[in-house]
Amino acid sequence: MTAETIPLSQAPAKEEDPRDHLLFDPRPREEMNNMVMEAMTSTSKSFWIVVGILAVLVAVLLFGAWGYMIYKGMGVAGIRRPTYWGMFIANFVFWIGISHSGTFVSAILRVFKAEFRRPLTRSAELMTAFGLAAAGLYPLIHLGRVWVAYWMIPYPNARLLWPNFRSPLTWDLIAITTYLLSSLMYVYLPLIPDVAMTRDHTRGWRYKLYRLMALGWRGTETEWHRLRTAIQIFAFAIIPVMFSVHTIVSWDFAVTKTPGWHSTIFGPFFIAGAIYSGVAAVTMILFLLRSTMVHMKYFIREEHFDALGKLVLVFSFAWSYFYFTEYLLAWYGGDLSDQYVWYALTRGPYAWLWYTMLTFNIVIPWLTLWNRKVRRTPWLMFAIGLVINLGMYIERYLIVPAMISRNRFPFTWDDYYPRIELVISVGSLCLFMLLYVLATRLIPLIPVWEVQEGQMAHTMRRIGKTEVPSVSEVE
Amino acid sequence: MPEETVHLALFKDIDPATKAIDKLRELGVRDKDMTIISSVPYSDKMLGRPMTWTLVPKLAIIGFVLGLVISLLLNFGTPLLYPIRVGNMPYLPIPTTLVLTFEISMLGLLVFTFLGVIWESAYPSFGPKIYHDDITNGRIAVVFNCPPEIHAQAHEALVALGAEWMHRTEATPL
Repeated sequence: MTAETIPLSQAPAKEEDPRDHLLFDPRPREEMNNMVMEAMTSTSKSFWIVVGILAVLVAVLLFGAWGYMIYKGMGVAGIRRPTYWGMFIANFVFWIGISHSGTFVSAILRVFKAEFRRPLTRSAELMTAFGLAAAGLYPLIHLGRVWVAYWMIPYPNARLLWPNFRSPLTWDLIAITTYLLSSLMYVYLPLIPDVAMTRDHTRGWRYKLYRLMALGWRGTETEWHRLRTAIQIFAFAIIPVMFSVHTIVSWDFAVTKTPGWHSTIFGPFFIAGAIYSGVAAVTMILFLLRSTMVHMKYFIREEHFDALGKLVLVFSFAWSYFYFTEYLLAWYGGDLSDQYVWYALTRGPYAWLWYTMLTFNIVIPWLTLWNRKVRRTPWLMFAIGLVINLGMYIERYLIVPAMISRNRFPFTWDDYYPRIELVISVGSLCLFMLLYVLATRLIPLIPVWEVQEGQMAHTMRRIGKTEVPSVSEVE
Repeated sequence: MPEETVHLALFKDIDPATKAIDKLRELGVRDKDMTIISSVPYSDKMLGRPMTWTLVPKLAIIGFVLGLVISLLLNFGTPLLYPIRVGNMPYLPIPTTLVLTFEISMLGLLVFTFLGVIWESAYPSFGPKIYHDDITNGRIAVVFNCPPEIHAQAHEALVALGAEWMHRTEATPL
């Protein structure tokens, strides 16, 4: 018996069921509300154990260790000549980068009307808020004398000291404050209709909380119109703010004459890296939400991991392009100071980290993410996201303490070894996780109204002999 | 003039709700006496309603201008009051000023956009309002005032269009 073969051109196309896509698989609004409510309100014993462990870790590793450092002085940290910017600043850059995911996934995809964003926006926006909360701690921790942090605020004080507005550190303070406030408002505005929904479905303390948060929202035409207008303004205006924040963070480095830092492309290079790690982190969060919360498999589907996987791959290319440009120009330029830095990274004490970073940020994503099956496998996307974020953390570590350890004065060269910084870093990661875990039970993570709006706009349309997905312009 | 009462009709879908609006117009109810409440945003065109206006974009521009003024005051005012000499830089350097001017102006724009929504909607507002809990479950409410003489006609017409629940209603605290 021989197998029957047919020419490839005549092979039946493998058709996808449109219902695999969330927006083609509508459910009644009441049912979706109930699913989101159940996900929010159901807490198991293991949930509280996780919360308890994280709270203890935050108290001990973050605030305890930070308090100890304040008490004993900065000597307990690994910061010493010539590396005055250590892991604290690397962590600051990392968390600011993570915070870019929310704006990217929510604002940029909203502006470009990328429909797959609908169920993901809030999860990403919360990452921004909590990422900034973690990032915002590091300038304070790094200060050492945290009790004089208010000297950065412009007011006429007894010492006649005013912030130097020419200093990138002042730019940082103002840019991060702008981004934090903007991000919180941007999370809150689209949340109002959803907390109104939770207000209508809860009793007791939750009702009181959501009633307060909903501000008296009903959903009248004028309320929707104002909200939509404001969201549109935010979506457009917050994008340049996002770009400016990480550019300013990069200028903290680039405006100095330090070898490896003094570069004109540091701004876009940092932004590409931030979005790269941020979007990879969104895939991780989505996997965890999908795996641990009830009904999330309906809202967060393989198609979302697929779309985010493509974005991660694109930003992997962008990041690699910038990194290679940095490396090539330093290698070709012949500046001895630059070459010593790159020597330390590629063949010196940091080489193992450098090659690990390249493997995590380039080799693994490029070998895997081109494959649709990989992109549609949530646990694999989680693993790849984790690897990318480890790689991006190493990148920040190499930029900050490693590069500064090879300055223009070879007699001061010394390798940096973090001490209490390691403990505080783990503590801040626990803080981020704790805030997120608590938020999953307090905030509707799925913007139900946006999902329903998307489902209304999506229909199948017959063109010729087949039906194709069609999207109407409803926004 | 007889006292007008508020009615609330709940519909399952947008189509009967828009027909109900047309029917109420035929009965003499003015557009300004009607409101549509829904759990998803529908445009004025979808509802066949007059264009809704909002001051939010104008407030955003005011916020931007205010931010710009504050940033210029901070950037130019403070170095003039408390000059700090930084090597090779003028007291009032334009390039660094641009960085902060951008940030503070954008902050002004975004804060005023947010506050604009709050102010224009008179939030927070927990007082009595016409509302029904089923709206967030996907129902569309047509709320209207009408004189008592057309109560019966309006009721009949809207029920015929598929109103699931139709009642003279009173404002309740949200």
